[in-house]
This record gives sequence, structure tokens and C-alpha cells, in this order.
Amino acid sequence: MKLLIVDDEAPARERLRALVQELDDCEVLGEADTGERALALCSQLHPDAVLLDMRMPGMSGLQVARHITAMEHPPAVIFTTAYDSYAVEAFETEAMGYLLKPVRKEKLAHALRHAARLSATRLTRIAETARIEPRRQQICARLGEQLRLIPVSDIFYFFAEQKYVTVHHRHGANLIDEPLKALAEEFAPDFLRIHRNALVAEKFIAAVERSAAGHYVVRMRECDAALEVSRRHSAELLRRIRGESL
Amino acid sequence: MTTARTAERPAAQTFFLPDFCAPPTVLAVVLIAGLVGLVVTLVRPTSPTMFWTQLAGASLYLLWLGLTCSAVLCRARPYLQRMSIRRANLIALTLLLVTIAIVAEAVYQVGQLWGHAGNDVIASFFPQQHSSFLLRSIAVGFIVSGAALRYFHVSAEWKHTIQLEALARIHALQARIRPHFLFNSMNTIAALTRSSPKHAEQAVEDLADLFRATLSEANARITLQEEFEIARTHQRIEQLRLGERLQVQWDIDALPPRALVPSLIVQPLLENAVYHGVETLPEGGTVTITGRHNGDVLHIEVRNPIAESTHEPARPGNHMALTNIRERLELAWPQRASVDTWLEGREFCARLTFPYAAADSGHGDTLPAGRLRP
Repeated sequence: MKLLIVDDEAPARERLRALVQELDDCEVLGEADTGERALALCSQLHPDAVLLDMRMPGMSGLQVARHITAMEHPPAVIFTTAYDSYAVEAFETEAMGYLLKPVRKEKLAHALRHAARLSATRLTRIAETARIEPRRQQICARLGEQLRLIPVSDIFYFFAEQKYVTVHHRHGANLIDEPLKALAEEFAPDFLRIHRNALVAEKFIAAVERSAAGHYVVRMRECDAALEVSRRHSAELLRRIRGESL
Repeated sequence: MTTARTAERPAAQTFFLPDFCAPPTVLAVVLIAGLVGLVVTLVRPTSPTMFWTQLAGASLYLLWLGLTCSAVLCRARPYLQRMSIRRANLIALTLLLVTIAIVAEAVYQVGQLWGHAGNDVIASFFPQQHSSFLLRSIAVGFIVSGAALRYFHVSAEWKHTIQLEALARIHALQARIRPHFLFNSMNTIAALTRSSPKHAEQAVEDLADLFRATLSEANARITLQEEFEIARTHQRIEQLRLGERLQVQWDIDALPPRALVPSLIVQPLLENAVYHGVETLPEGGTVTITGRHNGDVLHIEVRNPIAESTHEPARPGNHMALTNIRERLELAWPQRASVDTWLEGREFCARLTFPYAAADSGHGDTLPAGRLRP
């Protein structure tokens, strides 16, 4: 079993590595000290499982796990935590593999045997019980073998075409592997659904105009896009825009 | 800039005057009136035959006084509660004296109406000299009321202190060691036992010292030097875990090292600065501990950087340590110490202000300095 160790504290990583090396048929592919590096290593090294610290500066363990689930071949995730009663409660209710630091060798072996992949919905439920903000601050896009993290605050809109969803943001556009519906739910108040195929950031809406054909069009700020508003979503959009200006 | 000040005492709950409408208080007033009547009669030189008449008269008069005063205080209590303690005392005393004067005058007038019926027994019940009776009543009333008010005030203070002490003890127990810190330290030690037994040994010693310090008496006073050593012990353990990410800048030379402080007032601030600040930053940061000496007042300020935008809710328990320090400083120097916290850009600041109390030679140290390495 190939493992990736993610923890912001060097002694914690060192200890996990030592324990894993004592287990049969387990090897450590790499170590990461931040969530960003963990995701990069994940897409490079393709580990079978990730030992992931819950509490890290910047991107938390739960956020990293959320990005991992969006990967093509996501590794299994085992959370590690020193002390977090809410998180432990969440893992228990979701029957998730987790390890308490200092980690025992037997527990580590057991967790690795039962390591399972996670689903995004399960992670959202865990975040709720653990009282952690479930929304991601970045969206993860794959560029071949590379991963690219796009800050949610830089995103203009998501656009669905056939099978894929494109994220349009300050620094270009990328394909991602997530359904628009799930994105709409996750980023609910800040992003508005204006069409079956479009989800736009409210703060980048410059104007809503009526076209010659009689339907509404959203004109975006900072990018030259004009997106069609479907009849079904126009009432909600107009209500939101007017509510803002009042 | 937001400032949180030391909480004032809740006036309504700890008001010094008891409720004079409550049956136990009324009973106490009746008993005291009876006793004072007995004392007054005993000290007066009279014939044995007159003793019982005089006792009855005095007791009856004092009972009237006591009950009327109780009624007045009972009515006035809600208004007095809203005033400052000093003012409430003054007004209560004035009210009592006016009431006593009115009752005394009424008794004299009644005596003038009935006392001349020719019956000696009835006549001896009532005062004969108008002004001397009024003055004596007011003088005695002034002394007794003053003493009573003083007593109520002192006993309320005493109760308040006991409550504070109990609270501080409970909070001290809760705030002493953060489980997060304990388990992370244990994890670090577990890792170091393999890679660097020497460091592991030092970490165990430091952790033991830290625990010993937290298990000492909640209200124990130690010197500032000892307190800073405890904080440095804490820093050493965190340093092993966080490495270069944690920097601590000590600027405390201005503080008198022999000044006495309640134990664990600086270490929890450092712990907070790491837990809520440095640890949440990927690149880490510097905690600055600054000490200033201003005449008789000492200031200790702890500053730490915080994450730009915390999307996650603030880590729980951030006020426990501050509340605890506040309570123990208040207990050590009532009304003279304070804990202020504020945000300055991306920095969190906490400042302790308290009077300078030097360690006298006779003071036995609760925590021998030799146990903690500098």
C-alpha cells in the first residue's frame, strides 16, 4: 500500500513515517506540510491512501479531502487529529477511519486495512457535525497530471457544456469534473443559477439586460461575457438583483 | 479597534442591603430590637419595680422603630440598587434618620395626648422631655444604622470575594491545560523518542514542570521571573512541534523580576497566541511579549499575528484563558488590575495591567526557581 503523509508538524510526519515503515507491504511515497502540496503530490504520485491531519493552517484537512474526492482516481483518506471532540463525533457517526495522535501502530494497521474512499456528500455531513465550514475556498482543476487550485473568490462563473463544466476565472478557464448542481449547493448564496448550464458569482454581475429577443442577459464585470438567463431562473435573479439595489 | 474591559460586578445580584421584606430579615430585626431594648433598660439605673415597665416601653419603642425602618428600606431597596454603593449608603442612612425622627416625634405626641391620664405606669411609658428625647433617638439611630450598614457592606464584599474565589478555582481547573496542547506534545515526544531521545527527554522534563506549575495553588503568588520561566518552558515544547514557524520575541527587561503576580497569567497568553495565531498561519509568525514599568503599574503585552480571513469559526475556548486571568487579577488587586484585548490590523493584542508588588524577603516561593530551567 502506497501512502502519502500530510501534517503541518514535522515531528508528527516523522512519527507516522516511522510507524508505516514498520508495517508490512506499506510504503511512504511522500510527505506534505500543507494542503496545497498534498494535492499536488496526490496527483503526481497516485497514492492508495492519504493520512491527513485535520487541523492545518490554510487549507484544512477536510478541505483537502474534499478536493481529493473530485479526483479521477481518488485515494482513500484517513484523518488524524490530536484532539477535536466534534470531529471525532463526526467520524464516529459516519463510521469513518480516523486516528488519534499519538497514533498506535495497531490502530494504524487496522485503519489502513479498512481505508475507504470518501464521497463529497459524506464529507459535507462530517463538516456539519464537526462544526467546520464545508465550503471550499478553492476549486481544483486538473491540467493533465498537474492540479491547479483556483480561489473561489476569483471565479466569474461556471458553465456546463455537455459532459464538462468550465470554470471561468481571473486567470483563464479550466475544465473541472464536478456537476453544476453540487457546485450550486455548495456555494449557494454567493453564486446564482441563471440557467440550466450557468452558475455565476453574484459579485461579478455588472448588469442584467433585456435582449431584443425578449429574454434576459447577464453582463459580467471584469470579463467580456454575456450569459443568457433562462425563463425559469429569471424571476429569482431579478429579485436578488433588485433586493441588492434597494 | 475593539476593547474588552474587565467585567464590572453585577450590581443586582450582590447588592449589599438584605431584603427587608423577607420574613427571616424581619424576624432578625424584631429580635435585635428586643435585645437593644434589654441593653438600654439594663444600663439605666432604676428601681427593680420599674425595670419591667421600662423594658416593655423601650422594647415597644425600638420594635416600632425597627419595623418602620425595615418597611422604609424594603420600599427603597429597588431605587438604592440602581445607585453607586457610596450614594446608596448615604441615602439609606438619611432615610433611616428621617424615619427615626418621625417615629420619635409621633411617640412623643402620643405620649402628650395619653400620658396625662393620671396613670403613672402609662406615663412612664412615654418620654417627657421633647428635644432631648428626639436628639437621643436620632443619635442612637445614627450609630446603630451606621454600624448596620457597614456590617451589610462588609459581609456583601466578603460574599462576593468568596464567590469570585470559587469561580476562579473552577475556571483555573478548566483553563489549565488545553487538551489540544497536551496531545500534540505527547505526539511530539513520541516522535522524538525515536529520532532524538535527548530532545524527547527535555520535552518530558518541560512538560512535567509545566504541569507542576499548573497544579499549584490557584491563587499562589509567584515572581514575574518564575512566571516568565513557565512561559518559556511552554515555548520550548511548542518550538519542538512547530520548529521555525514559531518565533517569540521577549522584551521584558523593563519589568522588575521580583514583582509578585498570581501564577499563570503570562503563559496562557502565549498559549493563546500560538493556538489562535501562529499555528493557523502556514508561514508561522512572531509572538511579541513586551513588558513596561510605569511608576507603580506594570504592563505586559502579548501580540500575535492572526490569519487574514478565518472562514472557519473561531477556535472554541478563546475566552476561557482571558476570563480566568481577569478573575485572578481582580482577586489579587480588586479594581486595580485589568486585561484588555484588541485587534490591530492583522495582529491580536492582549495587555495585562496590574500594580507592582515586590516580593518581600519573607515570602516563600511556591515554585522554586531551580526547578525550571532559564
